[in-house]
Amino acid sequence: MEELDGEPTVTLIPGVNSKKQMCFDWGPGEMLVCETSFNKKEKSETEPGCPFIYIIRKDIDVYSQILRKLFNESHGIFVGLQRIEEELTGKSRKAQLVRVSKNYRSVIRACMEEMHQVAIAAKDPASGLQFSSQVSILSAMELIWNLCEILFIEVAPAGPLLLHLLDWVRLHVCEVDSLLADVLGSENPSKHESFWKLPGNTQTLTELELKWQHWHEECERHLQDSTFAASPHLESLCKIMLGDEAALLEQKELLNNWYHFLVTRLLYSHPTVKPIDLHLYAQSSLDLFLGGESSPEPLDNILLAAFEFDIHQVIKECSIALSNWWFVAHLTDLLDHCKLLQSHNLYFGSNMREFLLLEYASGLFAHHSLWQLGVDYFDYCPELGRVSLELHIERIPLSTEQKALKVLRICEQRQMTEQVRSICKILAMKAVRNNRLGSALSWSIRAKDAAFATLVSDRFLKDYCERGSFSDLDLIDNLGPAMMLSDRLTFLGKYREFHRFYGEKRLTDAASLLLSLMTSQIAPRSFWVILLIDALPLLEEKEVVFSAEQTYELMRCLEDFASRRPVWREPGVQRLQEDVENTKLEMLRLALARNLGRAIIKEGSLEGS
Amino acid sequence: MVSVINTVDTSHEDMIHDAQMDYYGTRLATCSSDRSVKIFDVRNGGQILIADLRGHEGPVWQVAWAHPMYGNILASCSYDRKVIIWKEENGTWEKTHEHTGHDSSVNSVCWAPHDYGLILACGSSDGAISLLTYTGEGQWEVKKINNAHTIGCNAVSWAPAVVPGSLIDQPSGQKPNYIKKFASGGCDNLIKLWKEEEDGQWKEEQKLEAHSDWVRDVAWAPSIGLPTSTIASCSQDGRVFIWTCDDTSGNTWSPKLLHKFSDVVWHVSWSITANILAVSGGDNKVTLWKESVDGQWVCISDVNKGQGSVSASVTEGQQNEQ
Repeated sequence: MEELDGEPTVTLIPGVNSKKQMCFDWGPGEMLVCETSFNKKEKSETEPGCPFIYIIRKDIDVYSQILRKLFNESHGIFVGLQRIEEELTGKSRKAQLVRVSKNYRSVIRACMEEMHQVAIAAKDPASGLQFSSQVSILSAMELIWNLCEILFIEVAPAGPLLLHLLDWVRLHVCEVDSLLADVLGSENPSKHESFWKLPGNTQTLTELELKWQHWHEECERHLQDSTFAASPHLESLCKIMLGDEAALLEQKELLNNWYHFLVTRLLYSHPTVKPIDLHLYAQSSLDLFLGGESSPEPLDNILLAAFEFDIHQVIKECSIALSNWWFVAHLTDLLDHCKLLQSHNLYFGSNMREFLLLEYASGLFAHHSLWQLGVDYFDYCPELGRVSLELHIERIPLSTEQKALKVLRICEQRQMTEQVRSICKILAMKAVRNNRLGSALSWSIRAKDAAFATLVSDRFLKDYCERGSFSDLDLIDNLGPAMMLSDRLTFLGKYREFHRFYGEKRLTDAASLLLSLMTSQIAPRSFWVILLIDALPLLEEKEVVFSAEQTYELMRCLEDFASRRPVWREPGVQRLQEDVENTKLEMLRLALARNLGRAIIKEGSLEGS
Repeated sequence: MVSVINTVDTSHEDMIHDAQMDYYGTRLATCSSDRSVKIFDVRNGGQILIADLRGHEGPVWQVAWAHPMYGNILASCSYDRKVIIWKEENGTWEKTHEHTGHDSSVNSVCWAPHDYGLILACGSSDGAISLLTYTGEGQWEVKKINNAHTIGCNAVSWAPAVVPGSLIDQPSGQKPNYIKKFASGGCDNLIKLWKEEEDGQWKEEQKLEAHSDWVRDVAWAPSIGLPTSTIASCSQDGRVFIWTCDDTSGNTWSPKLLHKFSDVVWHVSWSITANILAVSGGDNKVTLWKESVDGQWVCISDVNKGQGSVSASVTEGQQNEQ
């Protein structure tokens, strides 16, 4: 097993007494820290603790406005890359991957530019400094990415390799006016470009090498012959063009950094350098340039690792040096598409690509709108993406109906039925608490939650008992097959239907329905008396609505109900209600008897004729 | 990079014992030796006191938020032997239930996975564990496991809900047959796993022995879809163990020593995706741990308190790769 590089870093939480114990808990996206005393005693002997609770987050870069654009745009590139994976075949594959890489880089540059503008325009020096440092970080990221593109994706062979490296350096070196700088910078490379005749080059590497040898020897001859003896400047120039390191180093101020030195050196001494030899020159260039005065910075180590073609080391060092996962996640994904990563089995994610993408996406979920980007990243993590998404998506605060619907849609699209149910239940509960019964009912139905549907239906029925009317009629009238979710809901729907039949004067239908509601046992006990009393107006119609058979049924229901009514009641209001009920039931008995008579006669007559 | 994004001044007049974010990270509940439970709205870096709940007669040790589908419900437990369940009704928080079935301090409360219903497990210094189940209309049914741990029970933690057998969509209205389990840690140096039988009684299913002193905390890791169960435990003996069980091949739990600390370890907790374990110790530090390639647990960060600004960035799991 690879040994740990060192002790883990200690993160200090500012402003807290380090002599006290620390209580810690995880929030859904953050961490909570506070002072405490674990030894549970009834009375605290020491002074009362600090009353502050610190809420801590990782990856707060997520909250930067400008970086948000970086996240948004790179998300588009990422998704695009995953989608075209199948189409990436043959010769064009490399070109397409290079194009994707350039896209990412242009997004970084755009972000850099914007941040640079903000840094200049910043009113107070502190934030100006902060933005400037962000710009440097982005610049470093682009530098590293660019080198990775040249070495790993473009896979430039000897020859074109140096040209790419020249471009690379030029892109990152500031322009300086001076003849020497021109020599070191733009002039000679272009001279060389035409010398080398870019794309469509028919010369072989050997031919180029010969030509270069020839030129190099000529330069050397000039130096030997002291052609430039009169001008130390020109002599210096000649030495440089011969790749004399000492001469080059003399111009150190014009060389911003060791990789500039490296490329220039290569240009004049080993322009046909092979990729595998790069690292030797890189290491020595770094050593020469630093001259033992300073030690390499993290960026230097990353670049060295790249020159050594040690992709894993590059990713590892970048992960350590950078404050968020954006860079390593996207770069690693791209390199994975280039089939450059051997599969490393990690506990989290089946390979490094997935591991990094999961970390990045999890960080996005901390943000109130960027979480939507995170969803797509999880989608493209075959091992643990789905379960990670399930765990994170449930924690998104459903602050508005719109947001809730968005979350639900995402879950439904992925058949995350458990999450759908859970979210609908939460929304149903919220609706009930705010007395929005219609909303609560539709959420319960969507959650397929029978128990909750029953609860809400009961509320509707209770409201009806109290007010004599239903709210949310539209919803109840159009339940359709959803009505079957729970008995209580079915009853609610059917009872409304009964009302509708009555309203439309479809009296026989209303009568049959009413009877079936009573006999089917789905009516709640508390509602029986209402149902019975509802029969009264039907019995008092001019025409006979209930058949004899139905009347017998009704009578039986009535007696059934009457016999089961608890005798013991509270005095007072209940007593009054009971009296009213009793009167109504008496009326009902009378009406039933009368109806029975009429029905028998009617049916008897019909039979006869 | 770790940064403090909010500092909430709870104005507690005595030591704080627990602080818990709600499900969405929008509300913070705290409890203290000053006998109160407080709730704050902490959205957008703010801090608004929503409720100052009084009712306990002794230091309050823990608070726990129930799943939002049951509404806004918070449980608290205290030295006063009581467990109080608070509920937000019409915008105000009030006591909705008080459980007084214990003879000593109640040390830990933990809500069961929402799939099981609204069930609260409580562990007490009287050695018993009680389970409160909400049955509707303000009623709570109590089941008690007496002598769960001799001397006392210090912690309870539920296993994540996993539907046994196939995971096909259950017909509406029917509750899937969950096997309810939870873990408890006690002063008998043991961790016990409890299972609900078909008759509704709770039975001790397993005893996990490895600690040589009181078990202070147990935490059952959230499920990430792998067929293994994981429990973290910490103890007065300074050790933290990670227990794993391969669900497919039976019921054997094997412990792995995470680390031996120089002082008592009080608290262990898992991040929501179970990839990081936080360990709080008597050494005034919180350490974060992650599992690496070869199954070793690696410390990825020390979160400490101190003066001055936040220092170097946190080194994350990259050290774990081969």
